[in-house]
Amino acid sequence: MSELRVSLTRSLAYALLTVAALFMVVPFVWMVSTSLKTDQFVLSMPPQFIPDPATFESYTRLAELFPIGRMVFNSLLAAVVTTLGQIVTCAMAAYAFSRMKFRGSNLLFLLYLATLMVPQQVTITPLFILLRYLGWINSYAGLIAPGVFSAFGTFLLRQFFLSLPRELEEAAFLDGASHWTVFTRVIVPLARPAFATLAVFAFMGSWNAFLWPLFVVRDPELMTLPVGLATLHGRYLTEWNLVMAGSVIAVVPMLIVYLFAQRYFVQGVVLSGIKG
Amino acid sequence: MVGERGWRKTGWVLLFLLPSLSGLAVFSLTPIVASLGLTLFDWDLLTPPRFIGLDNFAELFASDDFWAALGHTLYFITGYIPLVLVLALGLALILNQKLRGIMLYRAAFYLPVVSAWVAVALLWKWIFNPKFGLVNYLLGLIGIVGPGWLFDPNWAMPAIILTSVWKDIGFVMVMFLAGLQGIPADYYEAAAIDGADRWQSFWNITRPLLAPTTFFALIISLINSFQVFDQVWIMSGGGPAGATTVLVEQIVKNAFSYSRMGYASALSWVLFLLVFAATAVQMRLQQTWVAYE
Amino acid sequence: MNVKWYRFSLVSAALALVAGACAPAATPVVVENTVEVPVTQIVEVPVEVTAQPDPTAAPEPVTLTYFTFSAAPDHLDHLDAMITAFEATHPNVTIEVETAPFNEYFTKLQTLIAGGTAPDIFELNYENFVSYASKGVLLDLSSQSAGDASFAADVYYPRAYDAFSLNGMQLGLPATFSTVVMFYNKALFDQAGLDYPTSDWTWADAVAAGQQINDPAAGVYGLYSPTQFWEFYKKAAQNDCEFFNADKTEATINSPQCVEALQTMVNFVQTDKVMPSDADMGGVSDGDLFKSGKLGMIVTGIWMFSAFEDAGFEWDIVVEPGLKNQATHFFANGVSVFAATQHPQEAWEWAKFFTSSPEAATIRVEAGWELPAVSDTAVFDSYLQQTPPANRQAVLDSLNFAIVPPVIERQSEMQDAVNKLLDQVKLGQLTPQEALDQAKLEIEALLK
Repeated sequence: MSELRVSLTRSLAYALLTVAALFMVVPFVWMVSTSLKTDQFVLSMPPQFIPDPATFESYTRLAELFPIGRMVFNSLLAAVVTTLGQIVTCAMAAYAFSRMKFRGSNLLFLLYLATLMVPQQVTITPLFILLRYLGWINSYAGLIAPGVFSAFGTFLLRQFFLSLPRELEEAAFLDGASHWTVFTRVIVPLARPAFATLAVFAFMGSWNAFLWPLFVVRDPELMTLPVGLATLHGRYLTEWNLVMAGSVIAVVPMLIVYLFAQRYFVQGVVLSGIKG
Repeated sequence: MVGERGWRKTGWVLLFLLPSLSGLAVFSLTPIVASLGLTLFDWDLLTPPRFIGLDNFAELFASDDFWAALGHTLYFITGYIPLVLVLALGLALILNQKLRGIMLYRAAFYLPVVSAWVAVALLWKWIFNPKFGLVNYLLGLIGIVGPGWLFDPNWAMPAIILTSVWKDIGFVMVMFLAGLQGIPADYYEAAAIDGADRWQSFWNITRPLLAPTTFFALIISLINSFQVFDQVWIMSGGGPAGATTVLVEQIVKNAFSYSRMGYASALSWVLFLLVFAATAVQMRLQQTWVAYE
Repeated sequence: MNVKWYRFSLVSAALALVAGACAPAATPVVVENTVEVPVTQIVEVPVEVTAQPDPTAAPEPVTLTYFTFSAAPDHLDHLDAMITAFEATHPNVTIEVETAPFNEYFTKLQTLIAGGTAPDIFELNYENFVSYASKGVLLDLSSQSAGDASFAADVYYPRAYDAFSLNGMQLGLPATFSTVVMFYNKALFDQAGLDYPTSDWTWADAVAAGQQINDPAAGVYGLYSPTQFWEFYKKAAQNDCEFFNADKTEATINSPQCVEALQTMVNFVQTDKVMPSDADMGGVSDGDLFKSGKLGMIVTGIWMFSAFEDAGFEWDIVVEPGLKNQATHFFANGVSVFAATQHPQEAWEWAKFFTSSPEAATIRVEAGWELPAVSDTAVFDSYLQQTPPANRQAVLDSLNFAIVPPVIERQSEMQDAVNKLLDQVKLGQLTPQEALDQAKLEIEALLK
């Protein structure tokens, strides 16, 4: 293959990738542009991409209508606690499911997966009644606790752990290391990309959560961002420029977490150092 | 494996499982079991539940709406799963390379995942607009008169599938990217020294070592797509004339709009059994293609 | 038996379901116990308990929860102003506001009630009121109103007051109303050299004018009145069609009058060609189409005033055209008191103040937060003077023809079923006759 052909293929790949990437970005650009429009009745067809005139009015109106700071704080608190909690609980369970052999592990794992299979809409009322007995309605505990435990996260980490070579821990066990040592010293350091991925998903899940926060929160002080912003969809009318401004505010933290997590995505695990 | 036996081993297993298992038992399993109990009741949430045995299930299996919704859900899954998995894998392979500006590209493909469905759906409605939408414009260029998409009972579901694939591709891509990180770089280096070309190293290294991730992506996509709802609700509302009504839409309507919690629970448990069966089959099948260390 | 028992029974029944995980056999037993108590009996209890407040005792501090969908986010300040005014005259009462978006409001309300944490007072729109009223969760306010010398029912617009009663019980007080009128684009009428619509127009007049305005090549259409449940029941009423017989045991939705009304609607698109089809609209909302100057006439609610305010052309409103008669939409919201509230008297005071006091009504009108359902038209003076539209009087004139929607206990199911059949008519899969024959069967199944 000649140098020229290689660079041509490369350019073509770049061009294709760029077109595809633009295709993915357009709706976001439109969201931003709509949030900068003046009229609340902004959904003209075909869509207008350049706001004329452009204004930050929607953002200032949002700040007037809602205690945005408080809502962002609540959402952030819930998302951060949920993310950290999921990483710890899921990693431990995933270790058991991937590195320990015990009777009924497959069955138990299926039970974990089963928790993902019943739609939230029918389990939410029993959960509400349950939490009322715990006295957790209208509290941070009630808002956050149910999200801290995740079968999805356990599954994700389990699959990643399974792909790590066994030889890694065998040496450690021969040296008399306990499961806890192997977990914290061998597996966890290698699983950073998987943790980063789980963090991205857990943060997003909690940040976007709507139905449960809507049910459990009664005091406006505890309201999260999606619950507050949902009131912009009125019974008769929706103020789309405000909705889009709210969506833009909502997207930014998730993107930051994603970009931050990406730092851990560098090609391949380096085993040579560990094998020693 | 090396390690402890007997009670000590059980102790370790319990220790590692306890935090997550106890939380899931309280916050997930208990409400799920309660919903199983509810399938035997007629409950409008306002008056006390009334025990009606298996009537909910009898009504469900006799209902045209249920069978239609089931059919549409399976249609969605059949179209969505292969597309989203293949495209996301391809994308992850491309974006796992050391390209200039790789972070920007990865961010671009992730943007739809974090964008709100309401915003996404509005724009895609425009893209599929029969008169001045992008899709029919492009079809027109090659001499095809495009269909009515969301306004045509035969084309509404394909439009929803394409939109969903576009929205979720970044989500599945991130799973694959994480899986690709788990493959030791040494293996590729060794293969390169042995003179393997790209295809050979993909087939002999990436494919088998990525299998656990592929399995994960498949199961999660399967579970999620059985519960497809948001995009349908926002893009077509189940229409036109019920052509895109899906199972979870029926569940939501019965639980929240019709105040029939018992019937909604029965629908959910039928859905659950379907997903569970599909997952169990995949768990069996994985033994033929997923080799763990 | 007391009020708390009622709450307890609901919760324990629900929890028994949760506990049923371990002991399924116990579940039916608990439920049988709760069934023994007729719900209507429970409703009367709190009235007896608090019927004789001791006038000499210093009033205890009372906190009430008011749950609303219409206040957030735009009118929370106005609600606060009303609460401040109320608390000034009721120093022992504190009102706490809880809000939810309309789309999720009833979902949350049901769950709060099921969970035994119901708000004391809550907002209900008329259609949902009927479902709640028949479930025995609303307090009959008759005894409160009878014992309240300062109360007179005629302070309310009568049709609205009556709408919130059921079987001789007053289960709510009307708070606000909205009407639906016909908006028209004056510029398009001028261009076509047509006279503006008047309040005695029929749909035939509107179609004739619409055909003059029509210019499909330019994407301009004569009129828009969507083929869905709300527009259909109204046109049905205009054509002397009733959805069911008087005691709601039989559906009459396939009578010739009903079929004819539906045919008229379908003709707008299919034969008169004055109205765009759904595919023609391609996801653009009807309001958007009107506002972009491409629609001669549109039938929609008065909540669109603010949206059309800055349209680039002159527009006005008029009472909607009729068929054999005139009939217009009347949307009402009311407030109801939870049957098992611990403070029925204070809850009544707030409900009365919020819905009928001149202070609250004035705040409402000035804020443009819908219209108070009161009979004193002087309240509307400042509202009527605002423009556009010039003919704001049509908002009130429409009340003369106001009908309430046909409502059954399983309302949402009926609406969805009818809408789906109307969809099939639009797509040409069914004729109006076939669709309404089918509708009759489906509605009768729901009436059982």
